[in-house]
Amino acid sequence: MKSETAGAPSAKLADAPSAISAAVSAASIGGAAARLGRRLFGRRTAGVDRMAFGLVALLTIAAVVGPFVTPYDPFAVETSEALRPPSAAHLLGTDDVGRDVLSRLLAGAGLTLLSAAAIVVLAAAVGIVVASVAALLPRRADEAIMRACDIFMSIPSLVLALGLAAALGPSMLSIIVAMVAASWPSTARLMRGILRETMSSSYVESARILGMSRPRLMLRHVLPNSLDAIYVQASMEISGTIVMISGLAFLGVGAPPPSPDWGSMIAEGQQYTTTAWWISLFPGLAISLGAIAFGLVGDAVRSFVDPSSRRSS
Amino acid sequence: MKEPLVHGGGALLSIANLTVSLPERQRTITGSGDLTLVEGLSLDIRPGERLALVGESGSGKSLTARSILQLDPALKLEGSITWKGCELLGASRRVLQKVRGAEISMIFQDPMTALNPVLTIGEQVAEPLLVRGVPRRKAYARAVEMLDRLGVPKAKERMRAYPGQFSGGMRQRVVMAAALVAQPQLLIADEPTTALDVRVQEQVLDLLEEQSRELNLAVLFITHDLAIVAGLAQRVAVMFRGRLVEEKPVDELFDHPDHPYTQGLIGSIPRIDLDPDTRLTTVEDYLVLQGGAHHE
Amino acid sequence: MYKFVLRRLGFAALSLWGVATIVFVISKLIPGDVARVAAGRLATADQVAHMREVLGLNDPLFLQYTGYISRLVQGNLGTSTITRQSVMGDLGAVLPTTIQLVLLGMFITVLIAAPVGIAAAVSEGKAADVAARIVLVTSGGVPVFWLAIMMRWILGSVLGWFPISGTNSVDGGPPTVTGFTVLDSLLFGTIGNLADSVFHLILPALALSAPFVSTLARLIRSNMMTALKADYITFAISKGVPRRRVILRHAFRSALGSVLTVFGMQFGWMISAAVLVEAVFGLPGIGSYLYRAIINQDTFSVLASVVVIGFVFIATSFIVDLLQMAIDPRVRHAQLGAA
Repeated sequence: MKSETAGAPSAKLADAPSAISAAVSAASIGGAAARLGRRLFGRRTAGVDRMAFGLVALLTIAAVVGPFVTPYDPFAVETSEALRPPSAAHLLGTDDVGRDVLSRLLAGAGLTLLSAAAIVVLAAAVGIVVASVAALLPRRADEAIMRACDIFMSIPSLVLALGLAAALGPSMLSIIVAMVAASWPSTARLMRGILRETMSSSYVESARILGMSRPRLMLRHVLPNSLDAIYVQASMEISGTIVMISGLAFLGVGAPPPSPDWGSMIAEGQQYTTTAWWISLFPGLAISLGAIAFGLVGDAVRSFVDPSSRRSS
Repeated sequence: MKEPLVHGGGALLSIANLTVSLPERQRTITGSGDLTLVEGLSLDIRPGERLALVGESGSGKSLTARSILQLDPALKLEGSITWKGCELLGASRRVLQKVRGAEISMIFQDPMTALNPVLTIGEQVAEPLLVRGVPRRKAYARAVEMLDRLGVPKAKERMRAYPGQFSGGMRQRVVMAAALVAQPQLLIADEPTTALDVRVQEQVLDLLEEQSRELNLAVLFITHDLAIVAGLAQRVAVMFRGRLVEEKPVDELFDHPDHPYTQGLIGSIPRIDLDPDTRLTTVEDYLVLQGGAHHE
Repeated sequence: MYKFVLRRLGFAALSLWGVATIVFVISKLIPGDVARVAAGRLATADQVAHMREVLGLNDPLFLQYTGYISRLVQGNLGTSTITRQSVMGDLGAVLPTTIQLVLLGMFITVLIAAPVGIAAAVSEGKAADVAARIVLVTSGGVPVFWLAIMMRWILGSVLGWFPISGTNSVDGGPPTVTGFTVLDSLLFGTIGNLADSVFHLILPALALSAPFVSTLARLIRSNMMTALKADYITFAISKGVPRRRVILRHAFRSALGSVLTVFGMQFGWMISAAVLVEAVFGLPGIGSYLYRAIINQDTFSVLASVVVIGFVFIATSFIVDLLQMAIDPRVRHAQLGAA
């Protein structure tokens, strides 16, 4: 039950000694995870949620061990084996130069999920820093920063990322940089809203009255208590990010050709749909399943953190 | 107690043995079985009569009122509710639609939320006529007339306004206008003054009484506040924990309350003729005095 | 009222400047010799030197920036290294295709999302609601370009119901006047032209609308559910308003507020999704243009397209804000109160 008390704001205010804020947030993460676990495997969890979590777990495992269990070398060109339909030898068929689709799919899983996770984490980090700084600055500066975010958001993020990635040259790194650059403003804006809400709560107010300095208040009380909302936001972002990086890769600004990136696999297969549908069908299914599963997990995390939203999503 | 009320004959609305319950599958709080909210309630209202239904929150008075027009589809209603001899419980949606607004209408506690913020005042007041096929021009003219009658200044210009531009008291007048525009014979007023400040409360109550007299309109007035009942109602029915515990003409009730709960209610009304140091009684005092007066 | 419009206009202008500046900064991030990139892969040393002169790369940064902004104000987006034409002219020629695709996509989106969202909200928790949610979650997660490819394959190639690419059949579309094939057919072409033009757009527009149907229908559903629980709904029922009118007039009207905002923003998002869909269906819009520019490493054309798309997005959100103020009295009062 220790995790429960860690999550309770009043307890935090009362007994948080001079421990650094990282410790508090670690406890909060632990608490959140524990509560999430209870909900997940408790009696009342919906079947859909369990399936989604199962799928996410599966994808994560595939991402980690995938590259080591590929039945074939994902890069080995074997022209004699080109365009083979799914069979016992090649479960998901082979592509136009005879590479095994399943092997490429497994090899690419890590690439897709890792870059999506990196993008979400980095964008959230930038967003949190910008939002916290804005919250500490005088109102005018705060407003100016938020206006700047609005301006950034007036370029659709896919297009902004596309331009930036095209300028930086095709590579997975430029996709990550471009996506973070394109998505931090909306994250910052959301974070600012979350922080503002936390700041207006009475325990923060009372800490302020006790004479705590603003930066300290931010680190000790506001940020740790905004974490739940931040997790929700991050978990909701992953799904869209997976779809978007695959779109960028499809357009050719992602990792250059031999890379087993799912988006590029679809692009390579798109001219063969009538003769070799499996080349682009399976990577697309993988992206869709990943995006849907992460989307459902995001929903579940949200309804777990904020029960009032449970019925209205 | 001299003249027993005749149930059925001559009554406009007759509720007999009404039981309202929440079916088990609708219950959100843990518990099993249907949850009974109102039990075995019988009540008559005669044409033009002003009847107050009094009780504390949770006593079931509001549910009884809402059940007359069957506004909560999740609730299970048993017994009988007859309107001018016609059974409403189990009636088709079409019959209910005909009765709602044009024969029996209702106003609610919070005038701030009872009006749709995105539709004009005019449309909302004229709506009971519009949905019954009255031509737009005529319906709007009647709506203006009604708003005028209820003391909404510059009624004609304000037909095009939106609820956001009105104060609470004005909105309650608008709500009343919408409820009365199709000339119903019974108005159910569900705590219509609770959300208003005291001065506005009085205006609305006066208005209600005035309309009732002029239009020969029966009023079923739901309130938790016995103090405002005296001037308005002719008869009072008291509800306690889902049951009707007492029903009398208003003077008789104040003079000789029978039920300990009613005695408690009356004792708790602050009065100017009492010594300021006298402690006001609470309902609990009476229930404790009476020992086993608690139901169940 | 005017005060609000002026303020909103001011912000739109600020956004335009911001977008231009962001793109300028991006163009400074291009690694390596920018003149080399701008002149194209096949350029000679002379051409590169010339390009350096044209782009003013020898000037101080501030002068480059003011020069860039003033060229932009005059509608000069530079010259494509591939087509050797003015990027503005190229984009002007392809933009109508994209806009008509997006408009049809938005039309389809509303056509599907509104009834589905309403029906789901009305039957909250019942089978129809659950089914709708499953479909919506699915269509929201499927990548739009993959869906486009799959639809092109199954509905186009295998079943042969729809044409698989282009804006018109080979026997010729309508004369090109406005560039909007549908409008041109309507004004200057035959009925056959019109049918042909619309027919070529249906499959891309359907694919394009899938993720947006998901977002919009879910928003309508949750807004409707909130609206249906409001007191004014009970009051409307007690007035004898028929169920149909309660749902469509009372609940739907008040659920529209944020729906309209999101719908307006979808215009911008749809343009970016159209980039992907056009690339699949070979529609000669801004998406195909961008796609080609990326493949040919025509970076400056890519950046110019980003500017143009940003401008279109800013213009639409400006229009949507005004529309919303005209339609929703709640917004009107809030905005006018603040102004």
